[in-house]
Amino acid sequence: MEASEIKEKLKEVLVSVLNHDRFELYDELTAKDVDGWDSLSHMMIITKIEEGLNIKFKLRDLNKLKNLGSLVAVIQAKI
Amino acid sequence: MNLILDIQRSIENNYTNNAFCINHVHYTYKEFAQVITNIRSSIQNASNQDEKIVGLITNDDIYTYGSIIALWLEGKAYVPIHPDFPEERNTTVIAQAGITTILDSSVEKIIHNVEVISTSNLSDVSIDLTPVTISDDDLAYIFFTSGTTGTPKGVPITYGNLSGFIDAFDKLNYNISSTDRCLQMFELTFDLSVISYLAPILNGASIYTIPKEEIKYSYIFELMEDYELTFALMVPSILHYLRPYFDEIDCPKMRLSLFCGEALPLDVTEEWAKCVPNAAITNVYGPTECTIFCTEYTYNREGINKTHNGVLAIGKDMQNTTTIIVDDENKLVPKGEQGELCLSGAQLTSGYWKNEEKNKASFFNLDIEGKNIRFYRTGDLCTVDEDGDILYLGRVDFQAKIQGFRVELSEIEFHAKAALDKINVVALAFVNNIHNTEIGLVLETKTFDTKEMLEVLKTKLPHYMIPTQIKFVDTFPLNTNGKIDRKKLKELFE
Repeated sequence: MEASEIKEKLKEVLVSVLNHDRFELYDELTAKDVDGWDSLSHMMIITKIEEGLNIKFKLRDLNKLKNLGSLVAVIQAKI
Repeated sequence: MNLILDIQRSIENNYTNNAFCINHVHYTYKEFAQVITNIRSSIQNASNQDEKIVGLITNDDIYTYGSIIALWLEGKAYVPIHPDFPEERNTTVIAQAGITTILDSSVEKIIHNVEVISTSNLSDVSIDLTPVTISDDDLAYIFFTSGTTGTPKGVPITYGNLSGFIDAFDKLNYNISSTDRCLQMFELTFDLSVISYLAPILNGASIYTIPKEEIKYSYIFELMEDYELTFALMVPSILHYLRPYFDEIDCPKMRLSLFCGEALPLDVTEEWAKCVPNAAITNVYGPTECTIFCTEYTYNREGINKTHNGVLAIGKDMQNTTTIIVDDENKLVPKGEQGELCLSGAQLTSGYWKNEEKNKASFFNLDIEGKNIRFYRTGDLCTVDEDGDILYLGRVDFQAKIQGFRVELSEIEFHAKAALDKINVVALAFVNNIHNTEIGLVLETKTFDTKEMLEVLKTKLPHYMIPTQIKFVDTFPLNTNGKIDRKKLKELFE
């Protein structure tokens, strides 16, 4: 799957969990930059991504998710 | 004060060992001693030298840990102040404790209107870890816990209390040594952090912390695996988070796996035991008021374990604590009957900080075998079996009265969990708009049809214990101590 396509899916997930779309998706984006993306919503976002893309993160993957770019990269390696 | 001398001796004897691993950077005990001395020197040169109680901004760095030991060498007490807590709460704590000086390693100062001693970027002075003269009655720390009325309650702990705890901890024979690698997963505002750094420091072992921006449970897993941790005290919530990934976890080097702070379910413990195949797993219990923890139960890998509603027993009194179980009128209940667990002994706080009203409600004196002893009411509903093992039944205040019946919410949780497959649940009592108490059940899962589960519950529980409202959440909210935030969940029903 293309990075742009994954980002589109991620946007849907973020909007559904956070209830807003006040963010731009660029590779350096981190949770801190997005309103409401805290440790709790993070878990919900992870679960929704797993369901939406039919993938399963490993525990070790979770620590690699430092920003949007790394999230996309981890997902790409799984599809 | 032997405890502080022991800290000095241990640091000096282990100079070449790693003291801390913070964000993958290792610090030896020699480097730690340097940091401590530098901060100590700044404290000695501060304007409010007579100040016994000092605030500490809790960052995850070597300076913050160094500040604690520096304050102790000076016979002072620390009050942890969390930089991410609401400013209003921090201001209340500072005012309550009468703090005029704060140690802070942050680049930008967080608290204003007090003297701030910066603890990072200090120049090196010649290492000196010799403590001043300290008495048992001097304070080592004050931790502020959330009060039911919304105002934080201060729990002062003396060096005598802390020594009593360390003495009893040593008698548990965990035998922590300089080769151990120990987890420190707690915010420094939570007193389980104290044993997580102090036990390693007293034995020259190394301490592995969790950077604030990391996701706790997955980071803990990586530390356990990559650094082959040997000792870990955790809250059971971490296990609930890790449970979907248990098949990825194999940590044969883990020697001691302790749990504290919440009820520890047997089924999760059994699964966890396979992830840490060589570890002794223990369930320790105790409130901040009785210095960190004061009872201990060892999980039995081979045989039967003592449980109530699927929750592991909290075991026997540690060396310096005496427990009793009393009824509403502070009278001892007959053995085997339930009542409120009360604690006494060397670890018990002298009382809440400047809060006479609360002290009257929580502490009482009782004649036991001719001695007049002061006890603390824990609010925990317990019973003791014939072997002297204490079983945790739930919170006294989690007991609800529904239509006049006494209901133990943990019992509903137990049966709901049994009816579901590995789904975490919380049962709550809430008052509905016609002022009747109802039972709500929150399930940590996607929405689904609960008819079947309710049918099962109806076969197990009397009708008045069947939840009347059910809510679903993707993830249970946690409070800052990492425990399930029941108050937040309750708001779902109000």
